[in-house]
Amino acid sequence: MGLTRRDVLLAGSIGSAALASAYFLPGRARAQDEAVQLVERLTGRTPTVSDRLHLVMPAVFPTGYTVPMDLDIDSPMTEDDHVKRIRVFAPQNPLIEVASFNFVPRRTIAHVSTRIRLAEPQYVVAVAEMSDGTLLMTKTFVDVATNGCI
Amino acid sequence: MTTVAPRVLLPSAAAKGEILKVKSIINHQMETGFRHDAQGRVIPRKIIHRFVCRYGGAEVFSVDLHEAISANPFIEFYLRATESGRLEFIWEEDNGGVYRLEHELTVA
Repeated sequence: MGLTRRDVLLAGSIGSAALASAYFLPGRARAQDEAVQLVERLTGRTPTVSDRLHLVMPAVFPTGYTVPMDLDIDSPMTEDDHVKRIRVFAPQNPLIEVASFNFVPRRTIAHVSTRIRLAEPQYVVAVAEMSDGTLLMTKTFVDVATNGCI
Repeated sequence: MTTVAPRVLLPSAAAKGEILKVKSIINHQMETGFRHDAQGRVIPRKIIHRFVCRYGGAEVFSVDLHEAISANPFIEFYLRATESGRLEFIWEEDNGGVYRLEHELTVA
């Protein structure tokens, strides 16, 4: 089985002092910060929030069973500068990993679409591992009316 | 039991260097392992956990799927037409099931 929300919360409670300070930030900055911390806990590295990632999902969707997701990353996809992998997380799902997409430079472009399940309204987080070792991330809020994970 | 029938949609001919859109879908329940049957027993997890596209024998694109991918997983991605050759699409299921599809592409 994959990574559960419980695992992540447990791991996070170790660094809870640092986390507590984040709660005094204003709402929007806090949501961004929580997503960054989530990615840090999952990958062990600090991501950079980037506008090169375009995660397009409906703001409101009637069912959590099949929410469309389109992910496009600005990248030349050359040998020197390409996207190696994109991971997608749904932090409020019972299992937070959604998918990871692996790309090959020159043969593909970093653009995929699929349909995912969401348990409740939440931020969906996408993290791109670039060829130079950096991590880029973005997130988008999706409001679903029904639980798609039962 | 319904038969699992994967499908892909992409052109059979392309110009060299062209970007091709590939649409793939496979009819599959994607059973998460969270549901129970009428007797209260857990229905075991059974999902397609990996999708691979090979082009001329080399792996060019792959996806690791988890429980949060919808039933009948649909994946749309893009390939660059580099040479004429065979495209292979492979779906791997829990318990070792494998579904394959082949597609010939002519690049002029």
